[in-house]
Amino acid sequence: MLTPLWLTLKIALLATLMAGAVGIALGWWMSQRRFAGKNFIDALLMLPMVLPPTVLGYYLIVVIGRNGVLGQYLDRWFGINLMFTWQGAVIAASLVSLPLIYKAARAAFEDVDVRFVHAARTLGAGEFETFVRVTLPLAVRGITAGLMLAFARAMGEFGATLMIAGNLPGKTQTLSIAIYDAVQAGNDAQALWLTLVISVVCVVVLVVSGRMLQAKH
Amino acid sequence: MTTSSSRWLGKFILLAALSISSAALHAQEVVVSAAASLTNAFQAVGQAFEKSRPGTKVTFNFAASGPLLAQIQQGAPVDVFASADQETMDRAAKANLLAEGTRADFARNTLVLIVPSTATTVPQKLSDLGNAQYKRVSTGTPSSVPVGRYTMASVQEAGLTAALEPKWIYGESVRQVLNYVARGEVDAGFVYRTDALIEKDKTRIALTVPTTTPVSYPIAQIASSKKAALGKDFIAFVRSDAGQQILDSFGFSKP
Amino acid sequence: MTTILELRVQAQLESPGRSFLLDASFNSTTQRTALVGASGSGKSTVLMAIAGLLPQARGYVRVADKVLLDTEHSVDLPARERGVGLVFQDYALFPHMTVEQNLAFGICRLGKRPNEAERDRIDALIRQFDLEALRGAWPRHLSGGQRQRVALARALAPQPHFLLLDEPLSALDAQLRVRLRHELAEMLERVQVPALLVTHDLSDVEALAQSVIHLDKGRVVDSAITESATPT
Repeated sequence: MLTPLWLTLKIALLATLMAGAVGIALGWWMSQRRFAGKNFIDALLMLPMVLPPTVLGYYLIVVIGRNGVLGQYLDRWFGINLMFTWQGAVIAASLVSLPLIYKAARAAFEDVDVRFVHAARTLGAGEFETFVRVTLPLAVRGITAGLMLAFARAMGEFGATLMIAGNLPGKTQTLSIAIYDAVQAGNDAQALWLTLVISVVCVVVLVVSGRMLQAKH
Repeated sequence: MTTSSSRWLGKFILLAALSISSAALHAQEVVVSAAASLTNAFQAVGQAFEKSRPGTKVTFNFAASGPLLAQIQQGAPVDVFASADQETMDRAAKANLLAEGTRADFARNTLVLIVPSTATTVPQKLSDLGNAQYKRVSTGTPSSVPVGRYTMASVQEAGLTAALEPKWIYGESVRQVLNYVARGEVDAGFVYRTDALIEKDKTRIALTVPTTTPVSYPIAQIASSKKAALGKDFIAFVRSDAGQQILDSFGFSKP
Repeated sequence: MTTILELRVQAQLESPGRSFLLDASFNSTTQRTALVGASGSGKSTVLMAIAGLLPQARGYVRVADKVLLDTEHSVDLPARERGVGLVFQDYALFPHMTVEQNLAFGICRLGKRPNEAERDRIDALIRQFDLEALRGAWPRHLSGGQRQRVALARALAPQPHFLLLDEPLSALDAQLRVRLRHELAEMLERVQVPALLVTHDLSDVEALAQSVIHLDKGRVVDSAITESATPT
């Protein structure tokens, strides 16, 4: 009964970690430099948030499907096929979460007063040390808020996930897809039960993250 | 009111009048929810029906039979329902959704096993699917898609349930299964013969799969429909020689 | 008299709608020098150039026998190697660290715990600047005067050869300013590190510096040695 829940949590957690690593790095990089084409890259990074999920799903198929741009090499060289796997679902969920983390991280880094960075420099800290001891701690609230949002978004990811990972009970049938499935089969009792489960989880995530952000003060 | 705004008002009234009258023209509109496997055939049937009755319009809604039933149960304004198996129609009848005495069978189909046309080997018999080279096999989600149910029954009959259990990739409709095979995402798939004919270039029929019950398509009017006469006409057309000829040209057989 | 600070710096600063050219040259022979000028004259920019925080800076900067910048000979030390302490206008104390941690930042590098010698140095600084009661305090809970002491102590923690102070008293109200001017003069006298002090207040010059450089629109327009300043 609860397999879709564990699957959803596993996929959402991994997706948030993956998107988090990439999003924070990109947010940091973009906050530091000014260069031609910066706005264009910014728009590109926000794209997954704006594109319809089915468009995203289609692009994913084109890239990592068995005959896809990258997928064909994965299949030929490593025998790996990401379609219909929970790993594919993680990729789909990471993609839709990335813009949320990137945007939050970039804003958080930009908000850090440059004078703290200067102070750290004059006190002997290099770039990496300044980032770890000064910039990151001061940006952590904004970044955490972004991660929470990303987690919630990853949990609810449906359209692109369905196209890439399919609807395989026990393997890729996340809570959202399970609800969709139950409705399609006319199984209202199941649909209601699953909806309640995911609603409770979302409320818990929001309450916990709210407390975390408050505790800073 | 200034002359320019009164001119705009005049234009608006004219536009409104036109749209109301054209809506009156489309008062002869019938909404048909039909199983995904009927997509191409019914589109042709619909065109022929509209031609035979000028002023009528057929609006189609194609999806797997299960979701279509769910929509009707939720109150979707559907006039005619055509499903790919008796079971779905039975469920509809049990829920008192059908207009009394309007249910009839109108076509039959065959279940086939297809592989991508790029496949190097083709299964000679159903049990070949148990071999290691067939890692992913697709059919419809059994709980809501008829082709999935036909498939599971046949697979069970052949004693292959356990062997194929870890290999299933479920599609939301038979057309999605067809798509998975056509794109080479799966190694084999169960669809209807009529679907395989649609993707002749990208798929190959490996074998015909015997089914435990005939693949029989029923059609019926929905009880809450406001277009009873038109619905009745459409069903009659589907069952007429003209309609049956069109279905035949797409690979369906007589009911 | 030995030259303590030798500076010939050009820098072009561009920001939307504004372009600023710094072209400043001066030498200083006194232990404590004041840099004065109207706001916008480039005083803070000069400090940034000396501290190594101005990537556009070109020219020559020598401070207490150490060459920090020499564009002609491709010398441009990164800020962390310059040995120059900087006290910011609003102190820029790290808000997520206690007073003690702020002081320790310049002494211990990432991931290292302070060894005995380093711990002694931190304790000495705390004593010297009368911060014992404030060891575990957060910057946001400190008064203006307390923050100034912490900022100065922090800048001196890595034992710099030279000290830069950017308007050290302007963040304080008038009454406090008078009192802390004396304290600052006393502290600077004690630590014996040569310093360049930016200010727009001539009373600061009188109390704290032994010579003064006037800056206007990015250029040095005047320099003079004032009377030797001693704390009263």
